[in-house]
Amino acid sequence: MEERTTPSSQVIEVNIDVTPGMSSVAGNKICGGAACDFSDSKNSSKDAKERSASMRKLLMAVVLCIVFMTVEVVGGIKSNSLAILTDAAHLLSDVAAFAISLFSLWASGWEATPRQSYGFFRIEILGALVSIQLIWLLVGILVYEAIVRIIYDSGKVQGSLMFAVSTFGLVVNIIMAMLLGHDHGGHSHAHGGFGHDHDHAHEHPDHEDSHAHDGHDHNLEHGEEHFHCHGVSVTSHHHQHHRHNDVKEPLLKHSGDHSTSKSASEGTKEHQRNINVHSAYLHVLGDSIQSIGVMIGGAMIWYKPEWKIIDLICTLIFSVIVLVTTIRMLRNILEVLMESTPREINATMLEKGLCELEGVIAIHELHIWAITVGKVLLACHVTITPEANADDVLDKVIGYIKREYNISHVTIQIERQY
Amino acid sequence: MADFAVSSEPNGGTGSSFTAAPATQDSFKHRLPDGETQRPWSGRYGIDSGDRRFSFSRNQSFKPQLLRNDSCIGTGNSVRNRSVLYQMASVLLAVRSGNRQVRRLALLISLNVAYSTVELMIGLLTGRVGLVSDSFHLTFGCGLLTFSLFAMTAAQKKPDGIYTYGYKRLEVLAAFTNALFLLFMSFSLAVEALHAFIQDESEHKHYLIVSAVTNLLVNLLGVWFFRNYARVNIAYRKAEDMNCHSICLHVLADSIRSAGLVLASWLLSLGVENAEVLCLGLVSAAVFVVILPLFRATGGVLLQQVPANVPTSAFNKCLRQVTALEEVSEVTRSRFWELVPGRAVGSLSILVKGGENGHSVLHYVHELYHDLGIQDLTVQTDHV
Repeated sequence: MEERTTPSSQVIEVNIDVTPGMSSVAGNKICGGAACDFSDSKNSSKDAKERSASMRKLLMAVVLCIVFMTVEVVGGIKSNSLAILTDAAHLLSDVAAFAISLFSLWASGWEATPRQSYGFFRIEILGALVSIQLIWLLVGILVYEAIVRIIYDSGKVQGSLMFAVSTFGLVVNIIMAMLLGHDHGGHSHAHGGFGHDHDHAHEHPDHEDSHAHDGHDHNLEHGEEHFHCHGVSVTSHHHQHHRHNDVKEPLLKHSGDHSTSKSASEGTKEHQRNINVHSAYLHVLGDSIQSIGVMIGGAMIWYKPEWKIIDLICTLIFSVIVLVTTIRMLRNILEVLMESTPREINATMLEKGLCELEGVIAIHELHIWAITVGKVLLACHVTITPEANADDVLDKVIGYIKREYNISHVTIQIERQY
Repeated sequence: MADFAVSSEPNGGTGSSFTAAPATQDSFKHRLPDGETQRPWSGRYGIDSGDRRFSFSRNQSFKPQLLRNDSCIGTGNSVRNRSVLYQMASVLLAVRSGNRQVRRLALLISLNVAYSTVELMIGLLTGRVGLVSDSFHLTFGCGLLTFSLFAMTAAQKKPDGIYTYGYKRLEVLAAFTNALFLLFMSFSLAVEALHAFIQDESEHKHYLIVSAVTNLLVNLLGVWFFRNYARVNIAYRKAEDMNCHSICLHVLADSIRSAGLVLASWLLSLGVENAEVLCLGLVSAAVFVVILPLFRATGGVLLQQVPANVPTSAFNKCLRQVTALEEVSEVTRSRFWELVPGRAVGSLSILVKGGENGHSVLHYVHELYHDLGIQDLTVQTDHV
């Protein structure tokens, strides 16, 4: 399932670990515990590392948020200003969103139980959904408040205070956005096959740039060949690795039909940022957009206090912008929840490729779905010729799917046509 | 199960149950064309028929397990990102030709929209904040009901290349969203009660009575439309059960809220202290209690939980029966989940000792799990 380079010999090993011998290692476990496919030792440690890194980030963001919130509450009570207190309430909603994300992250690591045979990975998605609903709810409340303010016409609005509070809020949000979206911005493309470097990147930010550039150059020159190496951690072996690719015949043979997997891997690498961290990031981003809107409104009202309607207009415009930023993530969540074929997998080509394998007559009931962003499962029925060796075909099919599409959780039912 | 001539002969067996034609005959039709008709119960596993929550279904139109359809992926009508306008048009068309539930829901939504617009106009013109806030609340609710309507109409679509399992999950999603919104509402009512308690000002808006009563009437009409689902605990047999239940609970919760407001203002006029706090608290608690079972059920389906209507003991029993076969050495990776209530999917991995009688094992296993209600099963047989 993973390809490794050993520093000494530069040999690329391909391990396909679905053979019957391996499954007996799982023992007679029905579905539970660490022997479950989803959490075999290699995957689970990687998962756990990613998860704890994300949790650390979120925890820092929560602490920061609480600190700022107390500052604002104290300041608001002292200066008896409603605007500051409402901003503090807004920060409280941020804390709620982070709490949901933290909980989802933590819960997704729970082990599978008899009632939850796939483990708890879906909790991430549901948590992100709840988070996004919260964003929408808050936007609705803000729009409502803006309209109420217009109706109530409650005396003069202090433009200067609005401006000051929203600037403070913006700074806070920008700090948190940088905290949460640390590995975003520019490197996602270059990270092509090096997505697993993310943890690496956290500890060595100075290395990150050099890797990105090297990777980028390689990608430009040599198109698809690199994208086989999904699991390779190419910290210092760039050049040797690359040279070796020219020599390896079987890898090159596949580079032809890898035009899809190039975009696929670029697509998946964007998803490598955990969906809960991403939704918290969206929340913070939405807040900063709103703060910008309030700043603009406050500045205009400061300049010309009669233009109170600007407040409402600004709120409306920026609310729409916030909603638009959440649409993409909402679409991804909905696609996972609807058990649809993930975008990064080209299902028609997969089916065609499978049909072309030796011994295979037809494919039935092919279902590809994701349990969470990044973990894809496949199930299908394969009809084979009467003479073919069932085990052989099974191995070939599973090997093909793992090699080409990197789907490791595969269940194939072999039916023989008599 | 006379279809199954379970042949235990190796390779050259008769295999009469398996002809060459199957691959293309009505292969693009979804496997259960008659949707989810009510099915008789099977008391085989000793579940008392009086316990409605443990009813499981048995497919009447039973096709031989291994004569499956082609995958939907090759049909070529998989389009992502249909334009919004197209989708709206298709919804309108579907409503016109839809069944009774769909039409009632459409009527309910239009009533709500009309009422909320009127309220908004009056509120804006006369400058009464309470009316505006109420109309916003109603609009939010309408948006949700529209999503439910969309889910109801879109769920009829056939599966295609992108959504290989079809669109029925939308109904569960809509139910979940409704339940989530109601939970938010209950929480916000609790906050409002707290607010009223702390502030201790009963600037009670008497003019809201009219709007509350009208709201109550409209919502009670909605409850009447969906009166079949006006219970807290329902055994979900098909996908639209969850959707309709969530709609019913939505209008029910709205009517509880309006009734609470009416009650609060009546009590205040009687001079009862803290009437608002009391009523708001009561309403919040009531809505929470009412919505929680639906939330858990829909959450369970979305979380890929094992089908709720099949007890764990039944699964264990099946597992034991499979392992008890002489050819089977062990069963691993048995996973089950529910697409919508009434349609369960599973996958198993079996280690078979020697010989070529995988075929008979397959039949047996499929039949076994089919009795539990798991129609889509993929069994991987590895030979030791």
